[in-house]
Amino acid sequence: MKVKKVISTLLVTTMTAAMLAGCGGSGGGAEAPAPAADNAADETQAEAPAPADAEEAPEVEEQVLKVAAFEGGYGADMWSEVVAAFEASHPGVTVELTIDKKLEDVISPSMKAGDYPDVVHLATGREAALTETLTKENALLPLTDVLEMTVPGEDVKVKDKIIPGFLDTLATNPYGDGVTYYAPMFYSPCGLFYNAGLLKEKGWDVPTTWTEMWELGDTAAAEGIALFTYPTTGYFDAFTYAALASAGGSEFFDSCMTYEDGIWESADATKVFELVGTLAGYTEATTVANANNDNFTKNQQLILDNKAIFCPNGTWLPGEMAEAPRADGFEWGFMALPAVNDGGAGCSFCWFEQMWIPAAAQNQDMAKEFVAYMYSDEAAQIFAKATAIQPITGVSDYLEGDNKMFYSIYDNGATAVMGGFAATAPVEGVNMLDTLCGTVNSIVSGDKTVAEWQAAVEEASDKLRAAME
Amino acid sequence: MKKGKARSVFIGVCVAPAVILFIIFMLIPTFNVFKMSLYKWGGYSNTKEFVGLNNFKILMEDMNFFRSFQNTVLLIVCVTIVTMALSLIFAAILSREEIKGQNFYRIIFYIPNILSVVVISAIFSAIYDPNNGLLNSIIGIFRGSDKTPILWLGDQKLVIYSLVIAMIWQAIGYYMVMYMASMASVPESLYESANLEGAGRIQQFFSITLPLIWTNVRTTLTFFVISSINLSFLFVKALTSGGPDGATEVFLSYMYKQAYTNSSYGYGMAIGVIVFLFSFGLSAVVNFVTKREPLEF
Repeated sequence: MKVKKVISTLLVTTMTAAMLAGCGGSGGGAEAPAPAADNAADETQAEAPAPADAEEAPEVEEQVLKVAAFEGGYGADMWSEVVAAFEASHPGVTVELTIDKKLEDVISPSMKAGDYPDVVHLATGREAALTETLTKENALLPLTDVLEMTVPGEDVKVKDKIIPGFLDTLATNPYGDGVTYYAPMFYSPCGLFYNAGLLKEKGWDVPTTWTEMWELGDTAAAEGIALFTYPTTGYFDAFTYAALASAGGSEFFDSCMTYEDGIWESADATKVFELVGTLAGYTEATTVANANNDNFTKNQQLILDNKAIFCPNGTWLPGEMAEAPRADGFEWGFMALPAVNDGGAGCSFCWFEQMWIPAAAQNQDMAKEFVAYMYSDEAAQIFAKATAIQPITGVSDYLEGDNKMFYSIYDNGATAVMGGFAATAPVEGVNMLDTLCGTVNSIVSGDKTVAEWQAAVEEASDKLRAAME
Repeated sequence: MKKGKARSVFIGVCVAPAVILFIIFMLIPTFNVFKMSLYKWGGYSNTKEFVGLNNFKILMEDMNFFRSFQNTVLLIVCVTIVTMALSLIFAAILSREEIKGQNFYRIIFYIPNILSVVVISAIFSAIYDPNNGLLNSIIGIFRGSDKTPILWLGDQKLVIYSLVIAMIWQAIGYYMVMYMASMASVPESLYESANLEGAGRIQQFFSITLPLIWTNVRTTLTFFVISSINLSFLFVKALTSGGPDGATEVFLSYMYKQAYTNSSYGYGMAIGVIVFLFSFGLSAVVNFVTKREPLEF
């Protein structure tokens, strides 16, 4: 009886101890493999050799730089290469690279615990909106002095090396106050992709105005081909930005992005809403059903199958669909949005990713050095090999093949549009991109009218204006 | 006396691990959800601003929230009624009737439950595909294949029912097995005497089977409420992402959107509080309404 009791007490104690050990995590010093519990002498011996590793005498000041980078369509290898090159040119610096397709999920738990990476490469406009959240909470370091730094290993200042225009946008100066918080990375023009092979085969001309576009739509409809499709409504940000800039010029575009009162109900904005409304009528019938994260490639496939002609997208599309089956004689074509006003300029939105330094970063000086290094020829060449194009002057020399065509979109008189909505304090229940882009699905399916859509966008804009600083 | 004290110490030590875990992983987080719902906070910085019940005030005027509320209630009601009816029927047939390959059917019905929701979503994506999907192809035989395809995931009036179908398909097997387990314990003698007195199978089901497994049915009702709320989030995430244009937004997907995508963590937690109270309240109501004197056999 007594023995039984002792045994059960022992068992319970072991269980509790095991539970506490499980909760303990990495707090407990040397992480030697768990020694066999029956011999205490082994335990002390096993722990003894541990401190020996720490005896390297550093000659240069040892620094650890924590870099977190988003693994996008360009792949992860280029980051390891760039980091290796950075370490080679900066003795004593060890870069701890975190790279992931879902970077937010990987870094945000430790960020919530106060452990921030020193440099983060993560664009705005992602679903988890980590970059936007930190911006809205004023948790970013201004990059003003990075722009004044000389590019490591060269004698040019960072701000002189970046292509003019890239640093004057809301996508680099999110508060609209002229202070740069995001360093522009990897730019990529967005526009309309089409099947150049199909147009050639049918003898149709590439439309240069929206009137020609609608004519082509009617001609194609007679043959059972739709004029337009879109992967998901998320792509309408680039589309509407370009259309807005084309309709009212860049100042008008900035007023829209900074939620100016009544701007979304102005005549120029109305033109854009109505343009999308007309386009909705020419949209392929099954597009809405596949316009979600699971099935968007089916919409892109419509272009390859000659079932639709145009689709708004970025330069990564041909790569994304490289393995997909396609119609005979298929050939990618890429153009800017035709001008919204007669005789005006066409526009193409230029999308780029961003790199930033959290205000809570530990090693800020080296972080700034790393950001500056991103604009060196050495880094740009490594990136360009993976078709990631840095916005620095003279970058076009590295381009070849299809990429040359994509990046020459601005050579035919189209204006580049850059930026995005200004940062505001978070407004509960109001999401501008959802209202502006998500509603397109309802316009295409006929559940909402263009006027309702326009009114909803103006309402969201009113609420966000109040939250701007 | 001494022995009694030792006994309670022993019990205390035995219960302690579970209690500690429960406090750390259940009570404290729940308390935090309630607390955070009173703050305006983006989720990362240290700038938490106490705003009292303001989040709830905004919530009461948020039409998107009400839409997600409606969708959730619709899902709970439709999924519960249809799943319960079908799984009761299947359970009764499989446990009362002599059918060839009973165990085979049992496995077939249970398989959807082992599959991950992401896999089920992929399957249903293929079924609902407007052009080459299973559903439209079958319907096409009757209405002619040249008609415009039905957009199961694109039509805003249909899409929520497309979700309902997927959720029912996923849940039937689980509840069927639960009902079969309790049907197995109903004594055979009751059915024999009912047979002798001339009661038909349907009458036997309503007068014997259903009353005797009633406790089990009540328990599953609570499961239905909880799992509809939880699973609908997974299905929406994987199948429609809340679209088209918010037509399939449910409680938790809207909460997720607000807390993480819209940088309004506090507001998301306020939605969490409403969901918590709603599911608690609904389970209580369901429990109260279905209360019967338990039958002994």
